[in-house]
Amino acid sequence: MGKYLLRRILQMIPVVLGTTLLVYALVFALPGDPVKAMFGDKPINAAVAAQIRAEYNLDKPFIIQYLLFLKNALTLNFGNTFAGQPVISEIGRAFPVTIKLALMAFVFEAVFGVVFGIISGLKKGKWYDSVILIVSLLLISVPTFVTGFLGQYFLGVKWHILPVTAGSDPGFLDLLMPAMVLGSVSMAYIIRLTRSEVSSNIAEDYVRTARAKGMSNSSVIMRHVLRNSLIPVVTYLGQDLGALMSGAMISETIFNVHGIGFLTYQSILKGESNMVVSIVTLLTLIFVVCNLLVDMLYAALDPRIRYA
Amino acid sequence: MKKQLLAAAAVVCSMGMLLSGCGSSGSNASDKNVITAFNSEPQNLLIPGNTNESGGARAGTLLFAELVSFDAKGNPSNEVAKSIQDNANSTEYNITLKPGWKFSDGTPVTAKSFTKAWSYIANAKNAQKCSSFFSTIQGYDDLQAKTLKGDEQLSGLKVTGDDSFTVTMSKPDATFPIKVGYLAFAPLPESFYKNPKAFGNKPVGNGPYKLESWTHNTEIRLVRNKAYHGNVKPKNDGVTFKIYTKVDSAYSDVQGGNLDVIDTIPTADTKSFTTDSNIQPYNQPGSVMQMFTIPSDLPHFVSGTEEGTLRRQAISKAIDRGSIIKKVLNGTGMQPVDFTSPMTPGFSKDLKGKDNLVYNAKEAKDLWAKADAISKDTDKFTISYNTDGGNKAIYDAIVNSIHNTLGIDAGTDPMPTFQEFRDSVDDRKVKGGFRSGWQPDYPSPENYLFQEFDSSAAHGNGSNDGDYQNPKFDELMTQAYAAPSTDAANKIYAQSQEILLNDLPAIPLYYDNAHGATAKGVKGLVADWENLPLYSQLHK
Repeated sequence: MGKYLLRRILQMIPVVLGTTLLVYALVFALPGDPVKAMFGDKPINAAVAAQIRAEYNLDKPFIIQYLLFLKNALTLNFGNTFAGQPVISEIGRAFPVTIKLALMAFVFEAVFGVVFGIISGLKKGKWYDSVILIVSLLLISVPTFVTGFLGQYFLGVKWHILPVTAGSDPGFLDLLMPAMVLGSVSMAYIIRLTRSEVSSNIAEDYVRTARAKGMSNSSVIMRHVLRNSLIPVVTYLGQDLGALMSGAMISETIFNVHGIGFLTYQSILKGESNMVVSIVTLLTLIFVVCNLLVDMLYAALDPRIRYA
Repeated sequence: MKKQLLAAAAVVCSMGMLLSGCGSSGSNASDKNVITAFNSEPQNLLIPGNTNESGGARAGTLLFAELVSFDAKGNPSNEVAKSIQDNANSTEYNITLKPGWKFSDGTPVTAKSFTKAWSYIANAKNAQKCSSFFSTIQGYDDLQAKTLKGDEQLSGLKVTGDDSFTVTMSKPDATFPIKVGYLAFAPLPESFYKNPKAFGNKPVGNGPYKLESWTHNTEIRLVRNKAYHGNVKPKNDGVTFKIYTKVDSAYSDVQGGNLDVIDTIPTADTKSFTTDSNIQPYNQPGSVMQMFTIPSDLPHFVSGTEEGTLRRQAISKAIDRGSIIKKVLNGTGMQPVDFTSPMTPGFSKDLKGKDNLVYNAKEAKDLWAKADAISKDTDKFTISYNTDGGNKAIYDAIVNSIHNTLGIDAGTDPMPTFQEFRDSVDDRKVKGGFRSGWQPDYPSPENYLFQEFDSSAAHGNGSNDGDYQNPKFDELMTQAYAAPSTDAANKIYAQSQEILLNDLPAIPLYYDNAHGATAKGVKGLVADWENLPLYSQLHK
């Protein structure tokens, strides 16, 4: 296990290097000059523009810019934004908000997804199974921004049940609607995944054997059906935690949650390559770590993987 | 069974953790008379000379007081200045200050607070975006050199006493007494020069409000500056700017009562906002001019040639502005009659040639036919715009109108981002018309006309992106600069506009209305010449 862990951690180095280079290249290739855009429709003073370019290394060739970024990043200096703020402190401010939002969405989708999935799977063909299936299909097919706007309009503006947007320093209630919207699509997938796993496992030979041995129904379901059914669900959830962190962009802009997605959106608009690359590096790390955790959990859930 | 218990406990714990976050929800509880307002994150630190976009300007104009201030209609009156006197030909100004002005840190506002700040901004080494506003002051060119230390001063500024200084211009500038009301001309305290970055994060000004805190990308909190005794009489205790990336969410917040004021309306809601009972809407004449420029060297449209002028007039008359304003803008704009705006001092509704801005299908066809008789034009006529600003519907309607009226091949050439669009315009790569809007920095026709159409601002030296050059127009600009008074200058600007109305270097489309909304229960809304609410007058 230790060797495996070490190998996986070493694998992260090329992944992170490759991603940063790729993203840096992409931001660099974005059309339009961020310095010119700073002046809007107003006259550009050439001497001033040159001064700003030099300050942010924008006058240097791509590869030099990238190497300078790497060199600084190794000393944990991620540079400044055009507004003169250290990138690291901006991320430090936004990140906890996104973590809070993602965790809420995660708990929401995991709890409701698994519970409804099990109910559906065990009672296949009953009316509530059909209802759950239809609702989950709806959630999958309607894009997040539509659910977001609908939620905002009805729950926020019309009925005043939940805050319209989260704003600064959001609490549990402020983040409830964004988290539900963010988690709803994955929840629908988890329902369907759990349902099909449960319903197929319940027909397996080992379940019949367990029942034949006289085990109670609840322990058959808990120990044999669920344990096996949850392996693909855990895989999905693990990867989804990374996706939630990065995929929060749409919900964060709709609900004005001042997290990583919001910051990324702003930075891309302004062509702030340092900020975008720093955020993406961080998200890459989260993705890789989440994947690692999933693999570890696999081993815990299924002994065959552990000994292989 | 142990494992299941653990799992259940874990779920319960995590729910508890989340619920415990409940307490900190919301921040709008106690501050009764504090107004919350929509804003975007300022592009730069809040330094007056480096603030040229609305995100920074909304806060900056409340933090600083300049020599003159403008009322809602754009009329100037002295603020920090006791008097601004010019010699007969607007080449030298004697400025004296009112006594007793202080920055919010307690240090006095002196003549040096102005001269040193202006020199700092003009000095290219300091990379301030508003640098070019100081270009008419003597010594500006010396401060654009490659090797500068950053503390060189403008030679045209002379401090003659604690509260007086003189400004010598390198060329006549009759607009100068209005320009000094622009944010970039604000005074700066000595503490600024010690650490401009720290200052920009927590600016110290002399305006009606002072900065309490700025949480980047989240909110800017301003509170009343008790030391301020200027022209503005605030009716609230503070203004908190909330930062948004999407106008839509801010608008929903106003509807839901979470935000007090927004100075723009999402395109999708322009149709319904005036009748929305959740808000108090406003929609009134504004100062932003929307047009599209046709490059002066575009084949068949060359400025100054008979064919070019005929075609420009034909295109302009082929656009049914009235129905576009009604159907696409849902009434949030006004038909133009000149190149400035109804909120600009000196504005006139009766300029010769304003008929060229009125839809007339028959005349348009005739003009086009006349131009074709000179030289047949079979090229496709395109207009470029950036799609990230919500311009698609308008430009589609415009080219449709041109196509339907003239029967020519007309289409749009959209570009995805403003940056990309600006790049093509700057590099003169656009082969057709292109969107050009103008938001004034200070209320003067000069700010529209000189900046956009004078020869000296062409070919990359300013905002004359169509490279329009007309010696008669330039001559009037020079005369206006040397005029003895603002009124006299405004008369000359009116004359110069009649040239533009004939030549049509750009085709005016509409004046953007000042439109937005306040939440229910918010009182005292007045929109000013910058299309912004007077934040100081809002109260609950």
